This record gives sequence, structure tokens and C-alpha cells, in this order.
Amino acid sequence: MYQPLLTSRYLSTRLIPLLAVLAVALCVALVIVVVSVMTGFLDMVRTSGRTLMGDVVVSYPIRGIPHYEELIEEIRALPEAVEATPVVDTWGLLRMPYPAGDAKESEQVQIWGIDPSSFSTVTGFGDTLEWTSVPDDSAGLLQTRLIRAHAEELAATLDASAHVALLRATDQGELDELDETTIQNLASQRPVDEWAVRLRWLANRPDLVQEIIGEQAWTDLNARDPRLLSSEALVNDGLTLQRNGRPAMVPGRHVSKANIRTSDGTYEILQNGYWWMPAFEGTLTTMPIDSRGGLLEPESIVLPFANEFSSGVYLIDKTRLMVPLDIVQRLTHLDEVELVDEDDPTLVVGTAPARATMVLVRAVDGVDPLALQAAVHEAYQRFSRQTYPDEQPPTLELDPSLRILTWEQQNASFIGPIEKERELMRTLFSIVYLVSGALIVAIFWAIVYEKTRDIGILRSIGASRSGIVWIFLLYGLAVGVLGALLGVGLGWLVTSNMPSIHEGLTDPPLWLGVFLLAAAGCLLIWCVVKSRSGRLLPLLLGSLGVLVLGGLGLGELWLRHAGGVMLWDPAVYYFTEVPSNVDWPSAWMSAAGAAICSVIAAAIPAARAADIDPVGALRYE
Amino acid sequence: MSELLLQAHDVHKTYRLGRVDVPVLRGCDVNVHAGEFLAIRGSSGSGKSTLLHLLGGLDRPDIDGGDISHAGRLLSSLSNRALDWYRARTVGFVFQFYHLLPELTVLENAMLPGLVPGGVGAAAARTRATELLGRFGLDHRLDHRPRELSGGERQRTAIARALVNDPPILLADEPTGNLDEHTGAEILRLLHETHQQGLTMVLVTHDASIADQADRALNLVDGRLTD
Repeated sequence: MYQPLLTSRYLSTRLIPLLAVLAVALCVALVIVVVSVMTGFLDMVRTSGRTLMGDVVVSYPIRGIPHYEELIEEIRALPEAVEATPVVDTWGLLRMPYPAGDAKESEQVQIWGIDPSSFSTVTGFGDTLEWTSVPDDSAGLLQTRLIRAHAEELAATLDASAHVALLRATDQGELDELDETTIQNLASQRPVDEWAVRLRWLANRPDLVQEIIGEQAWTDLNARDPRLLSSEALVNDGLTLQRNGRPAMVPGRHVSKANIRTSDGTYEILQNGYWWMPAFEGTLTTMPIDSRGGLLEPESIVLPFANEFSSGVYLIDKTRLMVPLDIVQRLTHLDEVELVDEDDPTLVVGTAPARATMVLVRAVDGVDPLALQAAVHEAYQRFSRQTYPDEQPPTLELDPSLRILTWEQQNASFIGPIEKERELMRTLFSIVYLVSGALIVAIFWAIVYEKTRDIGILRSIGASRSGIVWIFLLYGLAVGVLGALLGVGLGWLVTSNMPSIHEGLTDPPLWLGVFLLAAAGCLLIWCVVKSRSGRLLPLLLGSLGVLVLGGLGLGELWLRHAGGVMLWDPAVYYFTEVPSNVDWPSAWMSAAGAAICSVIAAAIPAARAADIDPVGALRYE
Repeated sequence: MSELLLQAHDVHKTYRLGRVDVPVLRGCDVNVHAGEFLAIRGSSGSGKSTLLHLLGGLDRPDIDGGDISHAGRLLSSLSNRALDWYRARTVGFVFQFYHLLPELTVLENAMLPGLVPGGVGAAAARTRATELLGRFGLDHRLDHRPRELSGGERQRTAIARALVNDPPILLADEPTGNLDEHTGAEILRLLHETHQQGLTMVLVTHDASIADQADRALNLVDGRLTD
């Protein structure tokens, strides 16, 4: 077989086919990057659905499902379901602790009243908790608070040397002229109350206080806020929606404006960690609605923040606030109440049961959400047909606002377009294969033209027409396969480095600009040297190279000067992260498509080569 | 007289240049016997290369333009595939301009006919090509590219290529036409040697002195062969 020999030689000794390889590689890489990002995006939507809401949602907004505990029991008994959890959702205002002063800011929040333990089983809530330890910058704030709160106790434990140290630390200059003995005497004469005042005064410098009171007292003090000593405490606060035994709330990471996303994708807390939410409280206000849809008096409650969560879905991290279920039921008047006689309010005529506006259900691993949906549907029918002493739950037949949907169905209006967009992108970008195909036709056509004499020679030594066709088909296949593999590699490289590329764009590194300009400089010198020979092509190529490299370098430096561009602004996009996983099945499909396109494109010049008259070809000079 | 190996009978060949038909061969008759060294002499453009291409199965005569047969078998009766085999195994071509493939090394060029369907196969071709190139004094040039060789070396490579499948017939088209006198004589000596080992050779040339070295010489004038 002479074809592989010729193909490999034609590939390795010539520049033009390498351009074709490059064209194919770029096309393949382009498609891989685009489709991978879209697929990653879609996957994120799908998995985030499960993380946020479980697999199936029973929802009955505003009025809520009475006797939801019975429904949950019915669902728990299903073999398809792992767990079900009640949720009350409503909208409200959250008065934030910031800024300092009385004019606090408020955020509009979507309040989710949850039962923390079952909610964590149904959703991935536990894994989304942001804080596993107190950030270093914020620990001082907690310690300051502890010092202030426990100043009297601390003051009582201080010994004489600590008194002197505290006196010196809180000195306003009056000790400057005094000798050591006088100071010690002075310290021993101060009243006990004053030490507490001085400790409070020094509370903003926890490091000094630590020195004064000694290690043991300091550790004992820190132990009063378990979060300072153990990372589990903070996570546990978040999981149980409690802080120091008080009910607490967990907002999404972007609810607080004090959490600033920096250009490199990390977060920082305003004022050097001061506004760390779990150190503060907020005031939650809701507008309950009565059974006729009318607005009732607003309800308010002050709750501490226990932790923050980060689901990765910006819209949710920006608005959602997790609060213990019973509190939200109270705030929305969906809790269990006694009904009294209108004329005689002391006469209890019955009770209205507590309600939940949603029941989230998680499927057993491997169970199709649609199967679970059907099972939940039947469970609901059983639940609603039971007889209850006070109030019957809504029925699926009569109440259209009662819905049992999978997460995907509930968000179909969101997921559908993304799927369509991906297919549209795939189709549009697959057109670039036509471009690479056309390029291959053009390049191979030129190669056949150039190789006309070779074809004549090959025919003269007995090569058949089909043999000639195979040379170019094999050549096309080699270009296609090489290009496709290169493209897969390039696509993988770009896709998997998406976060760093994004980071590079938001904060362009100085070295890159300098490197590009240096490369342009070197090329310029080469150009000047080459131009002495008087040849135009190296001069032209070199000048183009200088322009491109210099332009890129200057552009990069300008971008750096201008502060970079944030392509993936989490405020604009649904997710806070750029997807960076290659969609391998579709990557290999693209690669195969490119290789096949190359062969098909090569077939046209190959047919022409076969049609060349060998006698004419041999005369061809 | 030994057996008749190649025979052309009343061969006509017309080329079409634009709208004009140009008859090149107008009834050529030639008999080539086994082991013979036949020279065909003709001026430039007389159609001697065309005749050689027809004898080598690279081209076909006009329709109803006579017959060419090899060992009694009409070439016109052969299928395309059989004709490809004929070119691979029965004839070897040597051209004025060497016609080596520039991307291949000397050895690869020489062994190329062994790789086509009908050739002796890669392993045998390598052995035979190495042997022939060694005999032609090119053993130190095996890995060189044609552009690194002199004209004489290129033509020797081309002769080795023509002989690699061990064909009984060698068709040489002005093999010395592009070489200086000394190198040309060397190539002719090489061809003579090869002929003496039993090869049938048809050589076309415009040079009377070369034609005189053949067993027999024919003149191609006005599209016909004369003694």
C-alpha cells in the first residue's frame, strides 16, 4: 500500500495541510466549548433543582394545605420516596443590620419556613451552607461582644498584675510620670466596678484583652460562643436554624449586600469582615393575608442569623431566606389557631389546623421523578379522601391551584428554552464544519493541482484510479482525524480552564501583556533583519505578526488598566460559576463529524485527481 | 528470431487541441521481440513519446485506430484493472525528466512500484530496490531526497524504480535528454547492462548516435515508422 506512505509524507512535509488541520481543530474546539458550556449550564439547572427543591413538589400557594403532616406520613410510606418535608413560602422584608446607625437597609426576601432536619434530607441544604468556620476577620467582632457581655465576670477574676496591665492599657497619659510602685499602688486602690468599665472600653482590641486576662480566662471566654472553638457549631446552627438556643434564620449568600463578590470569584465581607451576617440579627416583616385574600396587620420578628447558604443559583441566593417553619406559619397566620364565636370571643368553637404551602419530596436514588410524581399523586388522593374533624384539604379534581409537579415540570418555562438554545447553538455552530469542509476542498484542490505530475507518475507505475482516490481520501481522513483530536484537546483545555480564563479577563495579568509586547518587539527586530533580503513575504507575515501581537499586548494592558471585563457576572447569569466540564459524548460526536466532513470534502478533489489523464500529467511541468 | 513480445499494428492516435484534431500517429506498425533493444528515432513532436505511452498501456489508441498486443494479448481487450497490472508488472517506464516524487526518499521512490496492487510487495520491493540502487552506485543516497541528487543520480534512481517489479520490458523516453554527454553515456551503459541481462528495451530518442547503439532502430516520420 503506497497511500499511507504518501499521505504521511504529504502531511509532514507541507505547510498547507497543517493549515487545514488547524482549521478543523478550531472548528471542533469552538463547537466543543459552546456545547459544553451550554450542557454544563443545563446540568447545573437540573442538579440545582434537586439540591433546592427535591424531586417532586406538592404546592398549594397562599392558603396552604391543612393537615399536611398526614400527607407527609402518606408520602413517607411510599417505596419511591425517601423523605417529604413541609414548606411555607411567602414574601417579606428583611431589615438588615447594616449600615451602622438607625437608617438600616431592608431587602425583599422570599421566606421559606422549613423543618430543618427533614428539609436537609429532601434537598441538599446542608451542603450549601456557606460558613464552616468563623472567618478570621470576623472572630474579633464576636470576641469584642463576649468581652462586653461578660466584663463584670472577667473583672472579678483579674489578679494584681492583670490590674496593672489593664491600667496601663487604658491609660490616657496620666501614668507617664509615675514609677512602677506608685502604679501598682494605684491599681490596688481602684474599685472593682472600674475594671469592668475598663475592660468594656478595651473590648475593641480583643488581642490586648487576651494578653491582660491570660490564656485560661481567654479560652473560657471564647467557649461562651461555641462557634469560636468548633467549626461544627456553626454548621449545626445552620442545619438546625438556631443560634444560642434561639430560633435563627439562614439567608442566601447574596441577600446581604455586605458580601461582595470580587473579580476573582471569591467573596469578601465589607469593612474587613465586620458585617459577617452570623454575628448579627435582622428583623423580618411579613404581610399575612386572611382567608378572603385581604391584607392583615403586618407581622414582625427579630431573629439572629445562623449561617448563610450558597446554592450557586444567583436568583435564589439573592432572595431566599430560610426560617423555622413554625415561625413562618405564625408570620403568615398559617399556624394552628382556635376559632372563637364572633359574638362571644371567649367561646371556642373549633380549631383551624396548621398549614404548609408546599410539600417537597425526594425520590429514592434511581427512581424516576415521573414515577415518584405518579405515586405522590395517588398518595395525595388517599390523603384528601380521609375525613378530618375541622377542615378538608383541597382536592386535585376541584382545586386547580393545587399542583403536583416534578422540579423540571415546575421550571419547564426555564429549562425548555435552555435546551432549545443548546440545540440551536449546536446547529448553528455545526455550520462551521461547512466552512472547514470548504477550506479542505480549496486546499486539496490546490494540492491535486500541484501534484498532477505525481499522479501521472503513480499511474505509470500501475496505480489505479481508485488508488489515486484513496490517497486523497486518506489524506482528508488524516487531516480530519488529526484536526479533530487537536480540536478535542483544545476544546478540553479551554473548557476546563474556563474559570481561570474568566478570571484572566476580569483581572488581566501584567506578565501576559509584557510578554506579548516583548514577543512583538522580537518579531519586529526579526522583520527588520529579514527585510534586508528584499523578500516581501517574510516582511509581510512578520509585520502582520507584530501588529497582532502588539495589538493583543496593548489591548491586554488597556484591559488591565480599565479593570478587566466580567463576562460572567453572577448578577446577570443564573449561576455564579461558569460551567467547566467537557460534554464528552457531544465532544466525540463533534470530532467524528469533523473527520467525516473532511473525508467528504476531500472526495471532491480526489475525484478530480482520479480523472487526470496520466499522459497529460506526465507532460505537465 | 526470438518470440514476438510487443506488437503494434496500424496504430493511429489523434490529439485534440482546442477545436482542431492533430493526428500524431497515422498507422504505426512495430514488432518488438523478446530480449531486443529497439530504438525509435524521431524529431521533437514526432509522436515517439506517444507511441511509447501506447506500448506501455498508459494511453489507448484512437477508436478503430489499430491494435497493440503483448504476448499475443490485445491491450484494448484488457480491463482497467488488468491494464494497471500490466503497467505494474510488465513494463517499466524511464522518463526524460526522471519524474521522481519529491516527498519520498531515493529508496522509497525506487520501491514505490512494488507497493501498488500487482507489485512485488513492500518487503520484496525494499530488498530489490536496495539491491538495484546499490548496483547503480547509490547505496549512500538511500535516505536522500531527489532534490539533493544530481541529474545522473536521479535518472539512476528512476531506472531502479522501473526495474523494481522485475518487468520484462523497459520503455525509456529520452533517458539521456536532460543530461550532459558524460552522464548520458553512463546512463546508456547502465541501460545496456540491464538489457544484456535479458530485458527487452524500447528507447525513443532524437539523437542518432544513441539510436545507433541499439540492436535495431526505426525512424518515426509523419506518424509512421520506417526502417
